[in-house]
Amino acid sequence: MTEAGHTHGDHSQWAETSHCRVAAVRHFGAFAVLELIAPRVARRAAPGQFVMVTVPGGGSFLRRPISLFAAHADRISLLVEARGGGTERLTRLDVGDAVEVAGPLGSAFPTEDVSNALLVGGGIGCAPLQYLADELSAAGAHVTACFGFRDFRSARAAGAFTIDRLWVATEDGSVGRAGTVLHLLAALDVSPGTTVYACGPTPMVAAVQRWTFAEGLHGYVSLEAHMACGTGSCHGCVVDTARGKLRVCAEGPVFRLDEVTP
Amino acid sequence: MTERANGAPLDPSPDLSVSLGPIVLDHPLVDASGTFDLLEYARRYDGDYFADFPYAAYVPKTVTVDARTGNPAPRVTETPSGMINAIGLENPGVRAWIARLGEWAHLRQPVIVSVGGNEPEQYAAVVAALDEYLDAAAPGAAPSIQGYELNISCPNVSSGLQIGADRAATAEVVGACREATSRFLLAKLTPNVRDVTEIGAAALDAGADGLSLINTLKALVLDRDTLKPFLGNRTGGLCGPAVKPVALRMVAEVAQAFPDTPIVGMGGVATGLDALEFIACGATAVGVGAANFTAFEAPQRILAELREELAARGFASAADARGVALSS
Ligand SMILES: Cc1cc2nc3c(=O)[nH]c(=O)nc-3n(C[C@H](O)[C@H](O)[C@H](O)COP(=O)(O)OP(=O)(O)OC[C@H]3O[C@@H](n4cnc5c(N)ncnc54)[C@H](O)[C@@H]3O)c2cc1C
Ligand SMILES: Cc1cc2nc3c(=O)[nH]c(=O)nc-3n(C[C@H](O)[C@H](O)[C@H](O)COP(=O)(O)O)c2cc1C
Ligand code: FES
Repeated sequence: MTEAGHTHGDHSQWAETSHCRVAAVRHFGAFAVLELIAPRVARRAAPGQFVMVTVPGGGSFLRRPISLFAAHADRISLLVEARGGGTERLTRLDVGDAVEVAGPLGSAFPTEDVSNALLVGGGIGCAPLQYLADELSAAGAHVTACFGFRDFRSARAAGAFTIDRLWVATEDGSVGRAGTVLHLLAALDVSPGTTVYACGPTPMVAAVQRWTFAEGLHGYVSLEAHMACGTGSCHGCVVDTARGKLRVCAEGPVFRLDEVTP
Repeated sequence: MTERANGAPLDPSPDLSVSLGPIVLDHPLVDASGTFDLLEYARRYDGDYFADFPYAAYVPKTVTVDARTGNPAPRVTETPSGMINAIGLENPGVRAWIARLGEWAHLRQPVIVSVGGNEPEQYAAVVAALDEYLDAAAPGAAPSIQGYELNISCPNVSSGLQIGADRAATAEVVGACREATSRFLLAKLTPNVRDVTEIGAAALDAGADGLSLINTLKALVLDRDTLKPFLGNRTGGLCGPAVKPVALRMVAEVAQAFPDTPIVGMGGVATGLDALEFIACGATAVGVGAANFTAFEAPQRILAELREELAARGFASAADARGVALSS
């Protein structure tokens, strides 16, 4: 992987539009995994990056940012949760449908020199962690994932994942352990030097950040922000960081855990 | 259309070039300030974006004398047929901005720098700093900055008074900048006024060479769960296709009131036909804003469509189409 190796560099971002076809769709309740034929995106992609997706059928003005759920050969996959009008439309795509994406965009999760990785996700924030687990495992790292969901409905997303050591908690106790990811983390025996990767709702990220520092670990977080362009032009997506206000779409979405204050 | 002397078939491709005052543009399309960052495009493009730059001139995001960190998040969201933003003129300040000019000095197209501020002196200070730098710069060290667009119309800065809603304040800002530069000066007007021609007259009387309009419409979007203002700044500026009819009406009013004035029309342009409509209402050049967010290739597509629209209607040039909506 030549280009994907340069995880934090801007030169791994590409904003020209790819006109793709849907090759496969799998549904998990309100979630859908869309597999798209997008060779030029797949070739450059790295875990943590996202694409801007044009909502098909018109009616939505801005594109929607969606993380890369997987990338293999000439395919990329997206895990989409129907949350509003645009994502609802995306989950209703069928095999053979046309869809436009631009990407890969944004920064990637650094994966070099990682031997033990702990992936912590909440809700749809789990989406970028499958691709990350694939890459880390391929590089020989020991990967453990802890995912938290609100209820049975949102835990349907877990069915889309293929990660060997995956622990699930739901707040209502309907699936896996009752409680949050923090309960899962508390029960883990974590090796020193483990790299933590987090993505999820702000309160979860804040709690995972506190836990990571308390355990003497380091890690990375993928943040969400409302976006207009997704390509660094509008400054709509900024977050406060130790390096000042940064754009989630350009310098992010992946930041070091110790440089953000969620 | 005249037939060629040798009887060869007419060139069906209309002449797209236009003159925006002294600035000669290859075609009428420019980017609208704050919606298109040249360097960000260049680093996300496979080819040489400078060689393939699609606009006829580059209007960067508004620059102010001091750095501004902008408004709290969230700053943007979609609205029916458009979007709302409250960025708050985030920019590094004119000194830091000038320090990076070398990175895009090789842009071939003319540049019109958008200038912002709270006081007339702040606008004039930006213009003076740039003029001073350009006059001293070695050949090729800076892009071809040929004019300024005075952004007196941003709805997202809490300076209290919106300069562009007040005739006297508009005249002061334009007058101060006119004293500071001999370069081409555009005043960018806000639609949030009772009569856009009153402000336009104040700007032109104070020395502006042309007008650009519209900036965004001040607007409010609520969070659908909490029923509280959604944006961090509470209010924001509405733009995109939803505002096009308002923008066309205002461009037409200004073009009718000041017939020979260079005008950059904008607001909701998403297709070549939209751009032609602005020209028909009297615009010399047309700004493309939020449509840049819908696809990387939006400017190329809109330009191709504009060319086709002009040809299909038998216009020999873009200039020929100017103002056709205004004559009865
Ligand atoms: C970097 C990044 C990666 C993401 N990855 C995924 C993913 O892999 N799978 C997935 O299902 N979702 C993901 N999201 C969230 C997804 O973008 C939103 O759910 C989606 O934009 C909502 O659009 P809508 O039309 O369904 O909702 P609406 O609420 O109708 O959208 C209205 C507007 O708000 C914006 N918006 C609404 N919610 C969000 C949000 N949470 N984040 C950003 N913008 C929002 C929309 O883009 C749109 O402009 C990601 C967001 C970001 C920023
Ligand atoms: C995200 C965003 C940022 C903007 N920033 C600026 C700015 O810095 N200066 C300015 O004069 N106008 C700014 N504008 C206004 C546009 O230049 C333009 O006047 C307006 O959006 C109408 O055009 P449109 O409907 O094509 O977007 C901004 C608009 C958007 C959407
Ligand atoms: S969404 Fe436009 S700069 Fe990030």
